[in-house]
Amino acid sequence: MLTTTAHLYIRRPSPTTAEFTVTTRPALTLPLRLALLSLSILRLTLFFVILFTLYTRFLTTSSLHSSPETNPLLLALASHLHTLHLSPAGQALTRLVAPIPAWLLAGISIPLLCFTVAWELHTSESLLVLRGLGIQTSTTGGFPWGSWRPATRFIPTEKIRDVLINEAFRGFEVRYYLVVVVEGEEDVVVVFPKLLPRRKIVEAVWRGVRGCLYEANDGMWYGVGKG
Amino acid sequence: MHPFSILTLGIFVAGYITARWDLVTRLCELAIFAWDYGVVTRAAKAFGVLSLVFLLIFIPVERLATREANLWLTAPLSVMPEHDALMRVFWPTDLPRPGLKGVVVGWRNSPLDVFVLAILEEVEPRNVESALQLGTLLRNAPHPVSRIYELCGQSSMRVLGVSNTPESTEVDPSWIRVATGPGRRVPSVTCARASSIQIILFERPLPGRMQYISLNPIALALGDKKGDFRHDGADSGEEEDDEKEERTRKAKKRQLVEKLKQHSIVRHVPSAKEKALAKIINQMNWAWELEQLLQKNVSRIGNRPKRSLSVSERVVESATTARDMMLVWLWDLFRVYVLPVFQKLFIFGLMGHRITAELLLLVLEWRARPRYAALKDISATAQQVEIRLQQFCYWPMQYVTLRLRKNDWGSVTTSHPDYIRFYNSLWLVANDVIIGIALGSYIIDNASWVGEEISDLLSKYTVEALQSSISWLMGWPAGLKLNTELAEFLGDLFLWVIDYWSSCIEALRPALPHIIWFIGFSSFAGASMPIALFSDLLSILTIHIYSFYLASARIYHWQLNILVSLFHLFRGKKHNVLRNRIDSCDYDLDQLLVGTILFTLLFFLLPTVVVFYLNFAFARMAIITLKAVFDTMLSCLNHFPLFAIMLRVKDPQRLPGGIRFELRDTQDFRHAVDDSPSPLPSTSVIYLKSIPLNFKAMFHQYFQMGHRIRKHYLSPHVVLCLLTGKFVPPLNRKNLYSLQYSMLPARRAGVMEMWDAMNSLPSAKKRAAPIIVPVLANGKKLHSNGRLRSYG
Repeated sequence: MLTTTAHLYIRRPSPTTAEFTVTTRPALTLPLRLALLSLSILRLTLFFVILFTLYTRFLTTSSLHSSPETNPLLLALASHLHTLHLSPAGQALTRLVAPIPAWLLAGISIPLLCFTVAWELHTSESLLVLRGLGIQTSTTGGFPWGSWRPATRFIPTEKIRDVLINEAFRGFEVRYYLVVVVEGEEDVVVVFPKLLPRRKIVEAVWRGVRGCLYEANDGMWYGVGKG
Repeated sequence: MHPFSILTLGIFVAGYITARWDLVTRLCELAIFAWDYGVVTRAAKAFGVLSLVFLLIFIPVERLATREANLWLTAPLSVMPEHDALMRVFWPTDLPRPGLKGVVVGWRNSPLDVFVLAILEEVEPRNVESALQLGTLLRNAPHPVSRIYELCGQSSMRVLGVSNTPESTEVDPSWIRVATGPGRRVPSVTCARASSIQIILFERPLPGRMQYISLNPIALALGDKKGDFRHDGADSGEEEDDEKEERTRKAKKRQLVEKLKQHSIVRHVPSAKEKALAKIINQMNWAWELEQLLQKNVSRIGNRPKRSLSVSERVVESATTARDMMLVWLWDLFRVYVLPVFQKLFIFGLMGHRITAELLLLVLEWRARPRYAALKDISATAQQVEIRLQQFCYWPMQYVTLRLRKNDWGSVTTSHPDYIRFYNSLWLVANDVIIGIALGSYIIDNASWVGEEISDLLSKYTVEALQSSISWLMGWPAGLKLNTELAEFLGDLFLWVIDYWSSCIEALRPALPHIIWFIGFSSFAGASMPIALFSDLLSILTIHIYSFYLASARIYHWQLNILVSLFHLFRGKKHNVLRNRIDSCDYDLDQLLVGTILFTLLFFLLPTVVVFYLNFAFARMAIITLKAVFDTMLSCLNHFPLFAIMLRVKDPQRLPGGIRFELRDTQDFRHAVDDSPSPLPSTSVIYLKSIPLNFKAMFHQYFQMGHRIRKHYLSPHVVLCLLTGKFVPPLNRKNLYSLQYSMLPARRAGVMEMWDAMNSLPSAKKRAAPIIVPVLANGKKLHSNGRLRSYG
């Protein structure tokens, strides 16, 4: 319900510029917005619960008491945390995680923390075509390794040898995917590598790129006989 | 034709007819005959039909064909068709946006491809044009102006259009009309000749802060030695195998991609606009400095006569600047008489240092034969010393290039990676020395204790642990019933050697604190020195384990080989060496009998040898791991991209890793400019941003090294070697250390080259800052001229 199969959005403010976005996010309706909001709240609560669990574990294992805090803000925070720790929910949590060894707890909770913070529900990949400049692919979604902004790759028009649709076996199916052949590079660049959308979408994007990237109707294209 | 020749022709025809009169009568008869039988009408009909066909079919086809042919002929020639009327405007976002009338100045890369540099306010386009032609706007440039044109790829700046002018004024059709204002982030651009417009907004990098934009990621490693290490790595067969495998894989992949490329049936000829991108990136890097220069010279436009200073003003000025003048005079004296002496002394010191370094390097790199290992390939310490010496040799050269950079415009970005490399290596050495001083003072203070600990560790792990494990193996370990006699023989053998070795170590024990003290002292040259020394000490003090490993591996390997050939005999086969295959062979009965008995004997003795072999193999592997840890620490101390990481945090613009574009929604932009009277052409607003270098690219060398180590030690080949008792070759130092040498040039500059470079420096400096008093005439001007430069 929260995600759909990959579908295509096209943004084309002028005939020479177009952005093709393939995304798993459905159109934003009110129920969907509410669901997403509740999901993010859930993630946030999960995050704090894990943090709090680690904190209670730290409190119970470490016997030494820190020197009295002078910063009033930190003092208030510590007292609040302490009351939360003494509340029934806090005690129940403490009892729940008590049998788990510390290293296991850390090993589980730290990846979970990263997951709640960084994971993105919807994957969306886009292809920006600018006539006279080039093609840019970008990917967001899943688990972003390292950087928060989408991973982009820009290929100048000069370097583009061709844009074509290729087919490949993947498991027990045949997938059609869009490929940019770059001059002087030993690998081709796959467009929409994560989602690998259906052939219809790929074809639509291919036509769009063809129409947008080059001036189509003034004889810029001529046949090259290749053996 | 000449009348005379016509007359001649007429006479000839008349004569011919009279001579051959019967021919004429025959022809007449034929004509009458044809008329009688309707030949003429039929011929006329056929002619009519044919001409109709010609008119209706052939002429249109011909017309079409010529048009097409013309199209094909002219298309490749007209590389830059402008029918699409797409206009591209590069616009700096941080350009000041006052809503005044102005003239837009910039580069015109092609008729519909413009790059905006500045908006000059309150001037007439005509005056600006003439000022640009005369070069008035670039007057007082700190560096040669021709450099600008050379790097920006254009021969002159142009007037591109007008800003905030009413529609009524007539402008050139190729000019753009811009409406900007304080409230508008995106200017609205119109042009009479463009039907659709791309506005590409970018943030100007500040050359004073050494920011720049580049299409390709900045290279942190020196890239002048591609394949140099591959060439050297061909010493050992193993490396060659690995390399060969990788090369064939790459070649296969390349072939596949080549095949894919053949799928493209149409080739696109890049237009001027598409080729211009690299040039435009350069222009962006120049934009800030050029705008400053233009704005500084705006006041020169037009025919405003300059009033010279009056006498009273002169008096005031000289009074206020008298102190400055004195200072300048004193500084000049110092510069002329004192500084050169110090400079010369310093240069002589450096040269002396360089010559000693050269001698030491010669010793370290000396090989008895080209195939033999040099000192630096064997010992980590020698390697470390060599790296440091190489760095010391390279620094003056780097410094000279960086100094020469100051004589050029700040927007020239070619030397920025050099700058980062230079300061990175300086900083790393400084860090190394600081850590080394801390470490060294600790070691020196506790030399006896450290020596004690080390000798304890040595005796515990390299003597006692071995002894106990050997005696454990001699007495039926883990319930394995080994051959007692062989186990005792082998165990006694190894135990004797260990006894002898331990007595050697005992003899060494009193000297150990001195050695430790020496190591501590050496760490004032950097923490990497004691680490390298410890690494070497480890290899020297565990030499007995190495030799045990070699001996047991050799025995095990032989036994395994004999077993294999005896097994072939047992099956009635033998290994044909000439053809490298297994042939069947007729053995005699006694041969078979003896062979089988030997096979059985050796087979039952094998487990005993295996356990001894495994024992020493594990010890050897542990030592190799320990040395790998030391090497990793060394490479972290010598190569960590500290400066780059700091820059990445402080100012990501200084480490460009490429560009990216962002398409902005045009809706709000259109709403914002709805008040403009004329309809806007279809416009797309695109932001160009610089991507900072990602961390993966920064640590690329480390990933490569990790990959190399993993491929060498965790490959099935090594496991096979371990299992069959073949010698596992340690990773070639050269391959491991390619990381450390990536900051150094493949060939170090010679002594004379360095001398020349050092001597070229002062002359350059003199040219850079000539003391001309009028420039300093008012103190403020000096301040505004002096370019700010931060060496964060």
